[in-house]
Amino acid sequence: MTAAGKAEKRTLLQPHKRTGNPIVPYLFVAPHLLFFMVFVGYPFFYGLYISFFQYDFLRPDATNFVFLENYAKLFTPDSVQFPVFWNALGNTVEFVFLSVPPLIIIPLILAVLLNTKVPGRNFFRGIYFAPWVLSAAVVGLLGFWMFQSQGGLLNYYLIQMGIEAPRWLSSMPWAWVSILLITIWWTVGFNMIIILAALQDIPAHLYESAAIDGANSWRQFVSITIPLLRPVMVFVTVITIIASFNLFAQPFFMTGGGPAQASGGGATEPVMLRIYREGFERNQLGTAASMSFLVATIMILFSYTNFRLFRTRE
Amino acid sequence: MKFKKWIFPGIGILLLILLAACGGGSEETAVSESDTPAEAPLVVEEFDDSCGTVELQYWNPFTGPDGPFMGEIVEAFNAENDNISVVMTTQSEYYTQLSTAAASNTLPDVAIVHADQVATQAFRNILRPIDEIVTANGINGADYPAGAWNAGEVAGRRYSIPLDIHPMTMFYNADLLAAAGFDAPPTTGEEFAAIAAAVTDGSNNGFMITSGFPIRQIFDMLLYQYGGTSFNADGTEATWNSEAGVQALEWMLAAQSDWSQPNLEVDAELNAFKGGTVGLIWNGIWQTTNVTGDGVEFDGQATAVPQIGPQPATWGGSHQLTMPTQAEPDSCKDAAAGTFIKYLLDNSVTWAQAGQLPANNVVRSSAEFLAIEPQASIAPSAEHVFFPPAVPGITDAYGPLDEAVSSLMAGTATDIQAALDDAAARANQILAENKDNYGDSP
Repeated sequence: MTAAGKAEKRTLLQPHKRTGNPIVPYLFVAPHLLFFMVFVGYPFFYGLYISFFQYDFLRPDATNFVFLENYAKLFTPDSVQFPVFWNALGNTVEFVFLSVPPLIIIPLILAVLLNTKVPGRNFFRGIYFAPWVLSAAVVGLLGFWMFQSQGGLLNYYLIQMGIEAPRWLSSMPWAWVSILLITIWWTVGFNMIIILAALQDIPAHLYESAAIDGANSWRQFVSITIPLLRPVMVFVTVITIIASFNLFAQPFFMTGGGPAQASGGGATEPVMLRIYREGFERNQLGTAASMSFLVATIMILFSYTNFRLFRTRE
Repeated sequence: MKFKKWIFPGIGILLLILLAACGGGSEETAVSESDTPAEAPLVVEEFDDSCGTVELQYWNPFTGPDGPFMGEIVEAFNAENDNISVVMTTQSEYYTQLSTAAASNTLPDVAIVHADQVATQAFRNILRPIDEIVTANGINGADYPAGAWNAGEVAGRRYSIPLDIHPMTMFYNADLLAAAGFDAPPTTGEEFAAIAAAVTDGSNNGFMITSGFPIRQIFDMLLYQYGGTSFNADGTEATWNSEAGVQALEWMLAAQSDWSQPNLEVDAELNAFKGGTVGLIWNGIWQTTNVTGDGVEFDGQATAVPQIGPQPATWGGSHQLTMPTQAEPDSCKDAAAGTFIKYLLDNSVTWAQAGQLPANNVVRSSAEFLAIEPQASIAPSAEHVFFPPAVPGITDAYGPLDEAVSSLMAGTATDIQAALDDAAARANQILAENKDNYGDSP
């Protein structure tokens, strides 16, 4: 039993003494691990595998190993994929920068307001959260009917007020504005609820003692609320960035990725929509898989940098 | 140390699961490899009692109001044929459904496929050649408009038979036209311009054209009317950047600035037309029930699109009847499918009531069909409908043209020739990539 002797010395690695069958922890993680392997792990590696092939699951005879050629196409300026892929990736990054600040700041303001003892606050909490339960397709279609130019709700009222309405869905930058507005309306409630829960965890005595010390409410917000919300805000920021990176349904239903650009692609076509079109409309699953992996790599780097940035400041 | 001892077997099990899963995947591909359709010849026998009762699966994408009309034909067929029972399934996300069914060997016996998708689906092993079925049932190419018939021939073999043609259609607000002093819709470019100009005033638009669907189809139609083509005959090169292409877009831009509104989004013309403020629009025949008759509060009518350029040409699509690939071909089912296809073609006058033009010339000139309006007055268009070359992935190559026409109509691009040239260059790359990807024959 020399191994056991060694283990006793290395208390850092083994803070608790384990008893019972050592397989037990693995049995505990097994149910999730199984689903993870079937629905995430296997598709992930299979996707990586087909990104090295000219691939069509219905034409096994035409499935050729091309190694990095699918990735090379994404970096060759005169390939079919180059202009449309980078245009779409640029659009998605643009959307992330446009959407994340309002999707953090507006829920923060709403959460702080709804954390005070205003009459009917549960009603307002419900109202702001309600759109989040809608499916992406419903939100996209609602967006189209709100913003479309011939009798759309928004233009109808703008014209009644004598304001000349822009072509929300078919001109820039209004197409982004429409998509952004509908996204904020749709998802603001989720971030709000998370921030609200964190606000309720801040002990009331901190505010009381600050008030005794003469701090006004703005000073209390900056010196107590913001620092204590920090871990939750990091979490909210990261999940919002990921959610915005995955933009698909709103442009799919509202603009179809348009307005079209003569140079290729659409001005609001997100990268997820481009991958879908490459894979399932053009049946080019190999290049679509390579696009997915490039985007996944960028997202992983993005999230990693985020956590690093916030961690070093603590 | 116990932790370390157990982590390695843990990872080992994990990898084993992964490997097993990956192995399973490649095994599946190996199975479908031996089922390529070319190796399974069709054996056609006359369908007779020796087969007993045969059940056929029939898929179509008719999720709209046209579905029930097709159901009516199927019911009538089942009532007439004691030994064949057809089960109709209407699918949305149609080509994705066909792909997944192909991967799991559960394709139906008969399926509708759009004309411009036949080559792609044939090359992807979803469809099988049906030359023998066509011969055995006495189906003759001479009975169909050449464009619609040729769309079903891929790499020298027949994969589909046209059921219907759905052309670009002109819808007009007869009340607005009458108020402007016209009692008949335009049939020529001059008449069209006169009516559109007369109807256009501060609140009404004589003609409305968007910068979204179906403007590329409108461009295509005018391109052919001015004597151009979208692609060369073998589908290896885009040819829309011709003089005819420039003329077509000049007409569209002039129409937009003289009679329409700038930079409208998709469906804007339909919504405005239904609001009663637009004299003329062009959209697919499938919009008939939406913008005519009880669909609107004014006298909405439909008729054939006018001829603007020197050549007659109409954009159109076509639903084609096909027989998807089977893992285990069954000669009884194949014969029954042939009988069913023949029945659908002969009885397509019921289908015409759903708002389509029967592809079969005999049905289309029958007294029974000519009594159905507005289909009968749109019917002459069917002769002039053109189709893209039957090469796989041809619809991909329209992508750059969609973008060019859309940006020109939206005003984000202004140089017509440059935009069309650029779109043609990118389409040629797509055609070359598709040729490399799909090869020369299914």
